[in-house]
Amino acid sequence: MRRSHEPISWSLFGAGGMLLAFIGPGLIVSTLLLAWLVQDPQALYATLHSGLQHPLVRLATLAVIALPLYHTAHRLYHGLHDLHITGPTWLLGGVFYGGATALSALCAFWLFTL
Amino acid sequence: MSDTIELAVTRYRPEQDTQPWEQRYTVPCSDDMSVLDALNYIKDALDPSLSHRWSCRMAICGSCGVMVNGEPKLSCKTFLRDYREAGVLEVRALDNLPVERDLVADISGVVEHIEAVKPWLIRHSEPPVDTAHSQTPAQMARYHAFSQCINCALCYAACPQFGRNPAFLGPAALTLAQRYNLDSRDEGSSERMPWLNAEEGVWSCTFVGYCSEVCPKDVDPASAINRGKVASDINYGVNLFRLLRGKGDA
Amino acid sequence: MRKPWQPQQPRNWWLRNPAYRRYMLREATALPLLLYTLLLLAGIVQFSRGEAAFATWLSWLQTPAGLLLQGIALAAALLHAVTWVALVPKILVIDSDRLRIDPRHVLRAHQLGALAGNLGLIVATLWLLWPTGGA
Repeated sequence: MRRSHEPISWSLFGAGGMLLAFIGPGLIVSTLLLAWLVQDPQALYATLHSGLQHPLVRLATLAVIALPLYHTAHRLYHGLHDLHITGPTWLLGGVFYGGATALSALCAFWLFTL
Repeated sequence: MSDTIELAVTRYRPEQDTQPWEQRYTVPCSDDMSVLDALNYIKDALDPSLSHRWSCRMAICGSCGVMVNGEPKLSCKTFLRDYREAGVLEVRALDNLPVERDLVADISGVVEHIEAVKPWLIRHSEPPVDTAHSQTPAQMARYHAFSQCINCALCYAACPQFGRNPAFLGPAALTLAQRYNLDSRDEGSSERMPWLNAEEGVWSCTFVGYCSEVCPKDVDPASAINRGKVASDINYGVNLFRLLRGKGDA
Repeated sequence: MRKPWQPQQPRNWWLRNPAYRRYMLREATALPLLLYTLLLLAGIVQFSRGEAAFATWLSWLQTPAGLLLQGIALAAALLHAVTWVALVPKILVIDSDRLRIDPRHVLRAHQLGALAGNLGLIVATLWLLWPTGGA
Protein backbone atom coordinates (compact mmCIF):
# COMPACT_ATOMS: atom_id res chain seq x y z
CA MET A 1 0.00 0.00 0.00
CA ARG A 2 1.48 3.33 -1.03
CA ARG A 3 1.38 6.12 1.52
CA SER A 4 -0.91 8.96 0.49
CA HIS A 5 0.30 12.55 0.79
CA GLU A 6 -3.24 13.63 1.56
CA PRO A 7 -2.30 14.42 5.22
CA ILE A 8 -0.67 17.66 4.01
CA SER A 9 -3.72 18.92 2.13
CA TRP A 10 -6.09 17.56 4.78
CA SER A 11 -4.27 19.41 7.57
CA LEU A 12 -4.44 22.68 5.62
CA PHE A 13 -8.09 21.94 4.76
CA GLY A 14 -8.84 21.32 8.44
CA ALA A 15 -7.05 24.45 9.61
CA GLY A 16 -8.88 26.52 7.00
CA GLY A 17 -12.22 24.94 7.86
CA MET A 18 -11.74 25.63 11.54
CA LEU A 19 -10.71 29.21 10.82
CA LEU A 20 -13.74 29.76 8.56
CA ALA A 21 -16.07 28.30 11.20
CA PHE A 22 -14.63 30.52 13.90
CA ILE A 23 -14.41 33.82 11.98
CA GLY A 24 -15.88 33.26 8.48
CA PRO A 25 -19.40 34.60 9.02
CA GLY A 26 -18.08 37.41 11.24
CA LEU A 27 -15.54 38.38 8.58
CA ILE A 28 -18.19 38.62 5.88
CA VAL A 29 -20.50 40.64 8.12
CA SER A 30 -17.49 42.87 8.80
CA THR A 31 -16.81 43.60 5.13
CA LEU A 32 -20.53 44.22 4.65
CA LEU A 33 -20.32 46.70 7.54
CA LEU A 34 -17.30 48.30 5.82
CA ALA A 35 -19.40 48.65 2.70
CA TRP A 36 -22.25 50.31 4.61
CA LEU A 37 -20.54 52.27 7.36
CA VAL A 38 -17.23 53.62 6.10
CA GLN A 39 -17.45 57.37 5.76
CA ASP A 40 -13.75 58.17 5.70
CA PRO A 41 -11.70 55.60 3.71
CA GLN A 42 -8.49 57.57 4.30
CA ALA A 43 -8.75 57.28 8.07
CA LEU A 44 -9.57 53.58 7.76
CA TYR A 45 -6.56 53.10 5.48
CA ALA A 46 -4.35 54.84 8.04
CA THR A 47 -5.72 52.71 10.91
CA LEU A 48 -5.23 49.47 8.97
CA HIS A 49 -1.81 50.58 7.77
CA SER A 50 -0.58 51.20 11.31
CA GLY A 51 -2.10 47.90 12.46
CA LEU A 52 -0.35 46.01 9.66
CA GLN A 53 3.03 47.29 10.78
CA HIS A 54 3.12 44.53 13.35
CA PRO A 55 4.48 41.29 11.82
CA LEU A 56 2.00 39.16 13.80
CA VAL A 57 -0.92 41.08 12.29
CA ARG A 58 0.56 40.47 8.84
CA LEU A 59 0.96 36.79 9.63
CA ALA A 60 -2.63 36.56 10.89
CA THR A 61 -3.87 38.33 7.75
CA LEU A 62 -1.90 35.87 5.61
CA ALA A 63 -3.53 32.98 7.51
CA VAL A 64 -7.00 34.44 6.90
CA ILE A 65 -6.30 34.38 3.14
CA ALA A 66 -4.11 31.30 2.71
CA LEU A 67 -5.95 28.79 4.91
CA PRO A 68 -9.40 29.41 3.33
CA LEU A 69 -7.71 29.15 -0.09
CA TYR A 70 -6.41 25.68 0.78
CA HIS A 71 -9.70 24.73 2.45
CA THR A 72 -11.83 25.65 -0.55
CA ALA A 73 -9.31 24.24 -3.06
CA HIS A 74 -9.40 20.90 -1.22
CA ARG A 75 -13.21 20.73 -1.19
CA LEU A 76 -13.53 21.74 -4.83
CA TYR A 77 -10.81 19.27 -5.89
CA HIS A 78 -12.70 16.42 -4.21
CA GLY A 79 -16.01 17.84 -5.44
CA LEU A 80 -14.85 17.43 -9.04
CA HIS A 81 -14.08 13.77 -8.29
CA ASP A 82 -17.59 13.41 -6.81
CA LEU A 83 -19.10 14.96 -9.95
CA HIS A 84 -17.17 12.46 -12.14
CA ILE A 85 -15.15 15.29 -13.67
CA THR A 86 -11.80 13.63 -14.13
CA GLY A 87 -8.42 14.69 -15.43
CA PRO A 88 -4.75 13.97 -14.86
CA THR A 89 -3.96 14.20 -11.13
CA TRP A 90 -0.96 16.46 -11.76
CA LEU A 91 -3.15 18.90 -13.69
CA LEU A 92 -6.09 19.06 -11.26
CA GLY A 93 -3.79 19.01 -8.23
CA GLY A 94 -1.67 21.70 -9.86
CA VAL A 95 -4.65 23.93 -10.57
CA PHE A 96 -6.25 23.62 -7.11
CA TYR A 97 -3.42 23.12 -4.62
CA GLY A 98 -0.84 24.83 -6.85
CA GLY A 99 -3.24 27.72 -7.33
CA ALA A 100 -3.83 28.04 -3.60
CA THR A 101 -0.06 27.94 -2.97
CA ALA A 102 0.70 30.53 -5.66
CA LEU A 103 -2.00 32.92 -4.42
CA SER A 104 -0.83 32.45 -0.82
CA ALA A 105 2.75 33.25 -1.87
CA LEU A 106 1.56 36.35 -3.73
CA CYS A 107 -0.48 37.40 -0.70
CA ALA A 108 2.60 36.99 1.52
CA PHE A 109 4.61 39.09 -0.95
CA TRP A 110 2.03 41.88 -0.99
CA LEU A 111 1.65 41.84 2.79
CA PHE A 112 5.33 41.82 3.65
CA THR A 113 6.34 44.48 1.13
CA LEU A 114 3.77 46.98 2.39
CA MET B 1 -55.81 -4.22 10.00
CA SER B 2 -55.51 -6.73 7.16
CA ASP B 3 -54.80 -4.33 4.29
CA THR B 4 -52.22 -4.81 1.53
CA ILE B 5 -49.14 -3.01 0.28
CA GLU B 6 -47.32 -3.15 -3.03
CA LEU B 7 -43.67 -4.14 -3.36
CA ALA B 8 -41.72 -3.15 -6.45
CA VAL B 9 -38.85 -5.61 -6.41
CA THR B 10 -35.84 -5.23 -8.69
CA ARG B 11 -35.22 -8.67 -10.18
CA TYR B 12 -32.09 -9.95 -11.86
CA ARG B 13 -31.82 -13.53 -13.05
CA PRO B 14 -28.35 -14.06 -14.54
CA GLU B 15 -29.53 -16.93 -16.78
CA GLN B 16 -32.22 -14.92 -18.61
CA ASP B 17 -31.63 -11.23 -17.91
CA THR B 18 -29.12 -8.82 -19.36
CA GLN B 19 -30.08 -6.13 -16.86
CA PRO B 20 -32.25 -5.72 -13.75
CA TRP B 21 -35.97 -5.14 -14.13
CA GLU B 22 -38.88 -4.42 -11.82
CA GLN B 23 -41.58 -6.84 -10.73
CA ARG B 24 -44.54 -5.80 -8.58
CA TYR B 25 -46.12 -7.94 -5.90
CA THR B 26 -49.09 -7.23 -3.65
CA VAL B 27 -48.58 -8.54 -0.14
CA PRO B 28 -50.62 -8.39 3.08
CA CYS B 29 -49.64 -5.55 5.36
CA SER B 30 -49.99 -5.58 9.12
CA ASP B 31 -48.34 -3.61 11.91
CA ASP B 32 -46.02 -6.43 12.88
CA MET B 33 -44.81 -7.34 9.38
CA SER B 34 -41.23 -6.55 8.41
CA VAL B 35 -39.97 -6.14 4.86
CA LEU B 36 -38.30 -9.53 5.35
CA ASP B 37 -41.69 -11.04 6.23
CA ALA B 38 -43.06 -9.56 3.02
CA LEU B 39 -40.18 -11.00 0.98
CA ASN B 40 -40.68 -14.40 2.62
CA TYR B 41 -44.41 -14.15 1.83
CA ILE B 42 -43.60 -13.51 -1.82
CA LYS B 43 -41.16 -16.43 -1.89
CA ASP B 44 -43.59 -18.83 -0.13
CA ALA B 45 -46.97 -17.80 -1.59
CA LEU B 46 -46.46 -15.82 -4.79
CA ASP B 47 -43.18 -16.46 -6.58
CA PRO B 48 -40.69 -19.11 -5.48
CA SER B 49 -38.18 -17.86 -8.05
CA LEU B 50 -37.38 -14.74 -5.98
CA SER B 51 -33.97 -14.88 -4.31
CA HIS B 52 -33.11 -12.99 -1.15
CA ARG B 53 -30.73 -13.57 1.71
CA TRP B 54 -31.71 -13.84 5.36
CA SER B 55 -31.06 -15.81 8.51
CA CYS B 56 -31.63 -14.56 12.04
CA ARG B 57 -34.66 -12.21 11.68
CA MET B 58 -33.32 -10.17 14.61
CA ALA B 59 -30.71 -7.75 13.25
CA ILE B 60 -27.60 -9.61 14.32
CA CYS B 61 -26.60 -11.87 11.40
CA GLY B 62 -26.30 -8.98 8.96
CA SER B 63 -27.39 -10.94 5.89
CA CYS B 64 -30.74 -9.39 4.93
CA GLY B 65 -29.57 -5.93 3.83
CA VAL B 66 -31.46 -4.43 0.87
CA MET B 67 -32.30 -0.98 -0.46
CA VAL B 68 -35.82 0.04 0.64
CA ASN B 69 -37.07 3.14 -1.17
CA GLY B 70 -33.48 4.05 -1.90
CA GLU B 71 -32.15 3.62 1.63
CA PRO B 72 -29.92 0.78 2.81
CA LYS B 73 -31.87 -1.20 5.41
CA LEU B 74 -31.88 -4.53 7.19
CA SER B 75 -35.15 -5.94 5.87
CA CYS B 76 -35.81 -7.70 9.21
CA LYS B 77 -35.56 -4.40 11.09
CA THR B 78 -37.68 -2.40 8.64
CA PHE B 79 -41.46 -2.51 8.97
CA LEU B 80 -44.19 -2.25 6.34
CA ARG B 81 -46.23 -0.04 8.66
CA ASP B 82 -43.71 2.79 8.18
CA TYR B 83 -44.36 2.76 4.41
CA ARG B 84 -48.19 2.74 4.42
CA GLU B 85 -48.19 6.42 3.46
CA ALA B 86 -45.79 5.85 0.55
CA GLY B 87 -48.03 3.06 -0.78
CA VAL B 88 -45.25 1.31 -2.72
CA LEU B 89 -42.00 -0.11 -1.41
CA GLU B 90 -39.16 -0.23 -3.88
CA VAL B 91 -36.85 -3.05 -2.87
CA ARG B 92 -33.58 -3.75 -4.63
CA ALA B 93 -30.20 -5.28 -3.86
CA LEU B 94 -27.69 -3.17 -1.93
CA ASP B 95 -26.19 -0.35 -3.99
CA ASN B 96 -22.53 -0.22 -5.01
CA LEU B 97 -22.10 -4.02 -4.95
CA PRO B 98 -22.29 -6.61 -7.76
CA VAL B 99 -25.73 -8.23 -7.87
CA GLU B 100 -25.51 -12.01 -7.88
CA ARG B 101 -29.26 -12.55 -8.34
CA ASP B 102 -32.41 -10.55 -7.50
CA LEU B 103 -31.82 -9.11 -4.01
CA VAL B 104 -28.57 -10.95 -3.34
CA ALA B 105 -25.57 -8.61 -3.42
CA ASP B 106 -22.07 -10.05 -3.59
CA ILE B 107 -20.23 -8.78 -0.49
CA SER B 108 -17.05 -10.83 -1.04
CA GLY B 109 -15.14 -7.67 -2.01
CA VAL B 110 -16.19 -6.10 1.28
CA VAL B 111 -15.08 -9.18 3.19
CA GLU B 112 -11.67 -9.00 1.48
CA HIS B 113 -11.33 -5.35 2.53
CA ILE B 114 -12.22 -6.29 6.10
CA GLU B 115 -9.65 -9.12 6.16
CA ALA B 116 -6.97 -6.80 4.78
CA VAL B 117 -6.86 -4.62 7.91
CA LYS B 118 -6.21 -7.63 10.21
CA PRO B 119 -9.28 -7.26 12.43
CA TRP B 120 -8.05 -9.40 15.30
CA LEU B 121 -5.89 -8.89 18.39
CA ILE B 122 -2.24 -8.85 17.39
CA ARG B 123 0.23 -9.57 20.22
CA HIS B 124 4.00 -9.79 20.07
CA SER B 125 4.02 -12.02 23.13
CA GLU B 126 1.36 -14.28 24.55
CA PRO B 127 0.68 -14.09 28.27
CA PRO B 128 0.78 -17.32 30.34
CA VAL B 129 -2.30 -19.47 29.73
CA ASP B 130 -3.63 -19.04 33.28
CA THR B 131 -3.93 -15.24 32.91
CA ALA B 132 -6.05 -13.02 30.70
CA HIS B 133 -5.34 -9.70 28.99
CA SER B 134 -6.79 -7.38 31.58
CA GLN B 135 -8.71 -4.33 30.52
CA THR B 136 -10.52 -1.65 32.49
CA PRO B 137 -14.13 -0.68 31.64
CA ALA B 138 -12.83 2.73 30.51
CA GLN B 139 -10.37 1.06 28.14
CA MET B 140 -13.14 -1.13 26.73
CA ALA B 141 -15.48 1.82 26.28
CA ARG B 142 -12.90 3.35 23.94
CA TYR B 143 -13.58 0.84 21.14
CA HIS B 144 -16.82 -0.82 22.24
CA ALA B 145 -19.19 0.98 19.83
CA PHE B 146 -16.88 0.14 16.90
CA SER B 147 -16.95 -3.55 17.84
CA GLN B 148 -20.72 -3.79 17.31
CA CYS B 149 -20.35 -4.15 13.52
CA ILE B 150 -22.24 -7.13 12.04
CA ASN B 151 -20.69 -6.88 8.53
CA CYS B 152 -24.07 -6.25 6.90
CA ALA B 153 -22.46 -3.89 4.34
CA LEU B 154 -25.24 -1.29 4.58
CA CYS B 155 -22.48 1.31 5.04
CA TYR B 156 -20.91 0.24 1.73
CA ALA B 157 -24.27 0.67 0.00
CA ALA B 158 -24.46 4.12 1.62
CA CYS B 159 -20.94 5.21 0.66
CA PRO B 160 -20.66 7.14 -2.64
CA GLN B 161 -16.85 7.01 -2.45
CA PHE B 162 -16.97 3.20 -2.40
CA GLY B 163 -19.48 3.38 -5.27
CA ARG B 164 -17.05 5.59 -7.16
CA ASN B 165 -13.99 3.47 -6.39
CA PRO B 166 -14.49 -0.13 -5.14
CA ALA B 167 -10.79 -0.27 -4.17
CA PHE B 168 -11.61 2.07 -1.25
CA LEU B 169 -11.40 -0.08 1.88
CA GLY B 170 -14.67 1.45 3.00
CA PRO B 171 -16.51 2.11 6.26
CA ALA B 172 -16.65 -1.30 7.97
CA ALA B 173 -13.03 -2.28 7.23
CA LEU B 174 -11.61 1.05 8.37
CA THR B 175 -13.85 1.02 11.45
CA LEU B 176 -12.57 -2.42 12.42
CA ALA B 177 -8.99 -1.24 11.92
CA GLN B 178 -9.73 1.62 14.29
CA ARG B 179 -11.52 -0.73 16.68
CA TYR B 180 -8.39 -2.88 17.12
CA ASN B 181 -6.00 0.08 17.09
CA LEU B 182 -7.96 1.52 20.02
CA ASP B 183 -7.95 -1.75 21.96
CA SER B 184 -5.51 -1.57 24.89
CA ARG B 185 -4.70 -5.29 24.47
CA ASP B 186 -3.66 -4.90 20.84
CA GLU B 187 -0.09 -4.33 19.64
CA GLY B 188 -0.71 -4.47 15.89
CA SER B 189 -1.44 -0.89 14.88
CA SER B 190 1.87 -0.62 13.00
CA GLU B 191 0.66 -3.45 10.74
CA ARG B 192 -2.67 -1.70 10.09
CA MET B 193 -1.42 1.86 9.59
CA PRO B 194 -0.11 1.25 6.03
CA TRP B 195 -3.69 0.37 5.04
CA LEU B 196 -5.11 3.46 6.74
CA ASN B 197 -2.36 5.70 5.29
CA ALA B 198 -3.07 4.69 1.70
CA GLU B 199 -5.20 6.58 -0.78
CA GLU B 200 -7.59 3.59 -0.68
CA GLY B 201 -7.57 3.80 3.13
CA VAL B 202 -8.96 6.67 5.17
CA TRP B 203 -7.99 9.23 2.52
CA SER B 204 -10.72 8.25 0.07
CA CYS B 205 -13.34 9.29 2.65
CA THR B 206 -14.86 12.76 2.33
CA PHE B 207 -17.07 12.51 5.43
CA VAL B 208 -20.38 12.20 3.63
CA GLY B 209 -21.56 10.70 6.91
CA TYR B 210 -24.40 8.65 5.42
CA CYS B 211 -22.72 5.38 6.52
CA SER B 212 -23.31 6.37 10.14
CA GLU B 213 -26.92 7.33 9.44
CA VAL B 214 -27.79 3.93 7.97
CA CYS B 215 -25.80 1.72 10.37
CA PRO B 216 -28.34 -0.55 12.12
CA LYS B 217 -26.00 -1.04 15.10
CA ASP B 218 -25.08 2.64 15.69
CA VAL B 219 -21.41 1.94 15.04
CA ASP B 220 -20.68 5.43 13.58
CA PRO B 221 -18.12 4.41 10.95
CA ALA B 222 -17.78 8.02 9.73
CA SER B 223 -16.38 8.97 13.11
CA ALA B 224 -14.05 5.94 13.17
CA ILE B 225 -12.66 6.74 9.71
CA ASN B 226 -12.14 10.40 10.47
CA ARG B 227 -10.41 9.59 13.74
CA GLY B 228 -8.33 7.28 11.56
CA LYS B 229 -7.43 10.35 9.47
CA VAL B 230 -6.11 12.06 12.59
CA ALA B 231 -4.08 8.93 13.40
CA SER B 232 -2.79 8.76 9.82
CA ASP B 233 -1.97 12.49 9.91
CA ILE B 234 0.15 12.00 13.05
CA ASN B 235 1.72 8.89 11.51
CA TYR B 236 2.62 10.96 8.42
CA GLY B 237 4.26 13.62 10.57
CA VAL B 238 6.21 11.09 12.61
CA ASN B 239 7.39 9.37 9.44
CA LEU B 240 8.43 12.70 7.92
CA PHE B 241 10.48 13.38 11.05
CA ARG B 242 12.10 9.95 10.72
CA LEU B 243 12.97 10.58 7.09
CA LEU B 244 14.44 13.99 7.93
CA ARG B 245 16.66 12.33 10.51
CA GLY B 246 17.93 9.99 7.82
CA LYS B 247 16.05 6.91 8.96
CA GLY B 248 14.09 4.61 6.68
CA ASP B 249 10.48 4.97 5.56
CA ALA B 250 8.19 3.33 8.12
CA MET C 1 -22.43 -20.09 -13.91
CA ARG C 2 -22.01 -16.71 -12.28
CA LYS C 3 -22.88 -13.56 -14.16
CA PRO C 4 -23.18 -10.82 -11.58
CA TRP C 5 -24.69 -7.48 -12.59
CA GLN C 6 -22.05 -4.79 -12.13
CA PRO C 7 -23.66 -1.51 -11.10
CA GLN C 8 -22.09 1.74 -12.26
CA GLN C 9 -22.39 4.85 -10.14
CA PRO C 10 -24.48 7.32 -12.16
CA ARG C 11 -23.01 10.78 -12.60
CA ASN C 12 -26.04 12.28 -10.84
CA TRP C 13 -25.80 9.94 -7.82
CA TRP C 14 -25.85 12.86 -5.41
CA LEU C 15 -29.32 13.98 -6.53
CA ARG C 16 -30.88 10.66 -5.55
CA ASN C 17 -30.80 10.87 -1.78
CA PRO C 18 -31.45 13.78 0.60
CA ALA C 19 -28.35 12.84 2.63
CA TYR C 20 -26.20 13.14 -0.53
CA ARG C 21 -27.83 16.45 -1.45
CA ARG C 22 -27.04 17.81 2.00
CA TYR C 23 -23.45 16.61 1.62
CA MET C 24 -23.06 18.26 -1.78
CA LEU C 25 -24.55 21.50 -0.47
CA ARG C 26 -22.00 21.42 2.38
CA GLU C 27 -19.16 20.85 -0.08
CA ALA C 28 -20.54 23.53 -2.41
CA THR C 29 -20.06 26.17 0.30
CA ALA C 30 -16.41 26.13 -0.84
CA LEU C 31 -17.21 27.90 -4.12
CA PRO C 32 -18.64 31.19 -2.73
CA LEU C 33 -16.09 31.06 0.09
CA LEU C 34 -13.28 30.81 -2.49
CA LEU C 35 -14.69 33.76 -4.44
CA TYR C 36 -15.02 35.74 -1.24
CA THR C 37 -11.41 34.94 -0.27
CA LEU C 38 -10.33 36.18 -3.70
CA LEU C 39 -12.28 39.38 -3.01
CA LEU C 40 -10.34 39.78 0.25
CA LEU C 41 -7.10 39.05 -1.59
CA ALA C 42 -8.02 41.77 -4.09
CA GLY C 43 -8.46 44.05 -1.06
CA ILE C 44 -4.89 43.31 0.02
CA VAL C 45 -3.56 43.99 -3.49
CA GLN C 46 -5.44 47.26 -3.61
CA PHE C 47 -4.30 48.13 -0.10
CA SER C 48 -0.67 47.56 -1.10
CA ARG C 49 -1.16 49.95 -4.04
CA GLY C 50 -2.12 52.81 -1.78
CA GLU C 51 -4.97 54.80 -0.35
CA ALA C 52 -6.84 55.58 -3.57
CA ALA C 53 -6.75 51.97 -4.75
CA PHE C 54 -8.02 50.82 -1.35
CA ALA C 55 -10.93 53.27 -1.59
CA THR C 56 -11.73 51.76 -4.98
CA TRP C 57 -11.83 48.30 -3.38
CA LEU C 58 -14.20 49.62 -0.70
CA SER C 59 -16.47 50.84 -3.48
CA TRP C 60 -16.34 47.37 -5.07
CA LEU C 61 -17.79 45.99 -1.85
CA GLN C 62 -20.84 48.19 -2.34
CA THR C 63 -21.57 47.28 -5.96
CA PRO C 64 -24.55 44.95 -6.52
CA ALA C 65 -22.17 42.16 -7.57
CA GLY C 66 -20.05 42.71 -4.46
CA LEU C 67 -23.07 42.69 -2.18
CA LEU C 68 -24.50 39.58 -3.89
CA LEU C 69 -21.19 37.75 -3.50
CA GLN C 70 -20.95 38.71 0.17
CA GLY C 71 -24.58 37.72 0.76
CA ILE C 72 -24.13 34.26 -0.78
CA ALA C 73 -20.77 33.86 0.95
CA LEU C 74 -22.38 34.75 4.30
CA ALA C 75 -25.03 32.06 3.84
CA ALA C 76 -22.30 29.60 2.81
CA ALA C 77 -20.10 30.54 5.76
CA LEU C 78 -22.98 30.06 8.21
CA LEU C 79 -23.81 26.63 6.74
CA HIS C 80 -20.12 25.77 6.79
CA ALA C 81 -19.72 26.86 10.41
CA VAL C 82 -22.78 24.91 11.61
CA THR C 83 -21.89 21.69 9.75
CA TRP C 84 -18.18 21.96 10.59
CA VAL C 85 -18.63 22.46 14.32
CA ALA C 86 -21.19 19.63 14.46
CA LEU C 87 -18.61 17.18 13.06
CA VAL C 88 -15.72 18.24 15.30
CA PRO C 89 -16.56 15.90 18.22
CA LYS C 90 -16.60 12.96 15.80
CA ILE C 91 -13.02 13.68 14.69
CA LEU C 92 -11.38 15.31 17.68
CA VAL C 93 -11.76 12.64 20.35
CA ILE C 94 -9.69 13.15 23.47
CA ASP C 95 -9.82 9.85 25.30
CA SER C 96 -6.62 8.44 26.77
CA ASP C 97 -5.62 7.00 30.11
CA ARG C 98 -4.25 10.39 31.15
CA LEU C 99 -6.92 12.69 29.76
CA ARG C 100 -10.53 12.20 28.79
CA ILE C 101 -12.86 14.98 27.67
CA ASP C 102 -16.57 14.34 27.19
CA PRO C 103 -17.43 14.75 23.47
CA ARG C 104 -20.34 16.99 24.52
CA HIS C 105 -17.85 19.37 26.10
CA VAL C 106 -15.71 19.33 22.96
CA LEU C 107 -18.81 20.26 20.95
CA ARG C 108 -19.88 22.96 23.40
CA ALA C 109 -16.38 24.47 23.50
CA HIS C 110 -16.27 24.74 19.71
CA GLN C 111 -19.81 26.17 19.56
CA LEU C 112 -18.90 28.83 22.11
CA GLY C 113 -15.57 29.47 20.39
CA ALA C 114 -17.22 29.97 17.00
CA LEU C 115 -19.84 32.25 18.55
CA ALA C 116 -17.20 34.27 20.40
CA GLY C 117 -14.90 34.46 17.36
CA ASN C 118 -17.55 35.63 14.94
CA LEU C 119 -19.34 38.04 17.27
CA GLY C 120 -15.99 39.32 18.58
CA LEU C 121 -14.85 40.10 15.04
CA ILE C 122 -18.07 41.98 14.30
CA VAL C 123 -17.80 43.98 17.52
CA ALA C 124 -14.14 44.73 16.75
CA THR C 125 -15.09 45.98 13.28
CA LEU C 126 -17.81 48.21 14.67
CA TRP C 127 -15.35 49.56 17.23
CA LEU C 128 -12.80 50.20 14.45
CA LEU C 129 -15.37 52.01 12.31
CA TRP C 130 -16.82 54.17 15.07
CA PRO C 131 -14.20 56.97 15.23
CA THR C 132 -13.57 56.90 11.47
CA GLY C 133 -17.07 56.41 10.14
CA GLY C 134 -19.05 58.43 12.61
CA ALA C 135 -22.01 56.19 11.87
